[in-house]
Order: sequence, then structure tokens, then C-alpha cells
Amino acid sequence: MSAPFEISRIAAHAASPMGEWLGFSGEADGESAVYKLAFSEEHIGNPMIRALHGGVIAAFLEFAMQADLAARLEAGAPISTATMAIDYLASSRAEDMRARVRIMRLGRRIAFLEATGWQADEAQPVAIGRASLRIG
Amino acid sequence: MTESPPTGLAAEINPAIRGMMRAARDMLQHEHSLLGSLGFKPLLLGAGKTSFSLDLPARFGDGSGMIHGGFLTVVLDSLFGLTVFTAMEEFKPIATINLRTDYIKEVAAGSRVICDSVCEGVRNEVAYVSGRLTLDADKSLIAIASGAFMVGTKGPAKGSRL
Repeated sequence: MSAPFEISRIAAHAASPMGEWLGFSGEADGESAVYKLAFSEEHIGNPMIRALHGGVIAAFLEFAMQADLAARLEAGAPISTATMAIDYLASSRAEDMRARVRIMRLGRRIAFLEATGWQADEAQPVAIGRASLRIG
Repeated sequence: MTESPPTGLAAEINPAIRGMMRAARDMLQHEHSLLGSLGFKPLLLGAGKTSFSLDLPARFGDGSGMIHGGFLTVVLDSLFGLTVFTAMEEFKPIATINLRTDYIKEVAAGSRVICDSVCEGVRNEVAYVSGRLTLDADKSLIAIASGAFMVGTKGPAKGSRL
């Protein structure tokens, strides 16, 4: 069922309305990828504060986990999120965000993933998301 | 016999909060570049309890005609924060600590949905909120969620999501 990491599938995953709204992309980095949210004004939460909306950060990390899993499965394998959870570790800025994804376990029907999102410094993450993704 | 409010909650929306609530409502309905486009309509605004209906436009779709689940988190985070404000005795900045969403059912792009949320209690300056998204058309369950919010963040409300 699982296949080598196929970076081209990430672009296919990003080519949805939500992916375009997030300005989502991924660049290969060894056996994984670094994912990017390209900032736009619609990603702002409170205009008085000029930080990313917390829900936008969650959506980006969930999208990154789905993309990462899609790049590891056979082409066209259906993926859906069963549960998504996020912890906000630090306040964000009105700028791009990046994320790395770790596969905690890739089962036959469920995959458990973790995504870490950061802005200025990878060593100081803004948020950590965890998702249980249904395969099939 | 009257019911007591849950731990740490105001019995009714405090007058000191009402001005802020109006500002938050105006932002949801008109001023915010993203949220203002969703046609938010308040169905209930009580102390620690809110219900809103809103649209889920196709531009937040997953490419198969359904809404991407991540966008539901945007909606839940916004409205959970507003629900925390309704439970306060006085205005304080808030920040989301964490949020968990279980996706029960996919929802088609263009649907109108209802988000009900309740501030279950406040302890040690942490407010706990739970809520659900249902389809307006048939009231079927789309997602359930829960979150924790820091109340009274220092300085400007850097982490506030509203």
C-alpha cells in the first residue's frame, strides 16, 4: 500500500480551492518535504493584531499532513481526516508559515501524523498539530 | 428554582461586554475580509452560549465539491472565541491554547451550517469550550469540537483569533 515519497503528488493535492486559498506548496527535503503557507490578508485573525488566524494555522497543518500522506500512498488513494487537534505554542505574525510532518504510524486504514509549524525560527514552533487520517 | 451558571461563568452577558460583543458581531458580519464574506447570522447570544448560521463558500472546497475540513476549524476557532467573551465578567484579551475537531460527515460546498458552542467553565484563567457544526438543511451532525482558551493574556491580545 505505501510507496516511496512522491513529491509530485503534493502539487496535485494543493491544486484544490482550499490549497490555493492557503497558498500551499511543498518542497522536497530528503525523504520528506517542507510545506509552506504563503501569507495573504485573508489569513489574518483580528485585524487589530495582525497575526495569522488560529484556524488558518490549523487548516494549513492539516493540509500539510494530508499532502504528506498522499505523497506516500499509491496515486489516488482516498484520504480523509477523522480527527485533528492543534496546540498553539506561541503567537504568530502576519507572514508565511512553514511546516514539517512526521508519520507516527502508517496503518492499513488509519495513519497518525504530527505537523510542526514555524515562522522565523524552526527551533521556536508556533503550533503543533496531530491528525488521525482515514485511508480508503 | 433557578439554575446556577457553570463554574466561573457570568449568569448573563455582562453589560461591560456588550460593546465588545457588538464590535465582534460587526467584524464577523461585515468588516473582516474573510469572515465578513460568510453571511454570519446570530441565532443565539447568551452568557457562555452562542449559535450562528453561516455559509461555506466553494472557494474553501477540497476539489471534490466538498468543503475542506480545515476551513471548519477556522469557523470553530472564531466562534468559540466569541463564546468565551460572552461568559466574561469584564473584557479581557484571549488566546486559543488548543483545539480538537472530530469530522463526522463531509459537507458540500455552498452549504449553510449552524455552529452551536458553549463555554463549559473557566478555571485558573482557562476557559473550556465545546461545540458542534450541523447542516442547516436537515440538522445532521458535521463535526464536534472542543477547545481551551487563555483568558487575560498579557499586553495586546496577540493570540486572540477574533
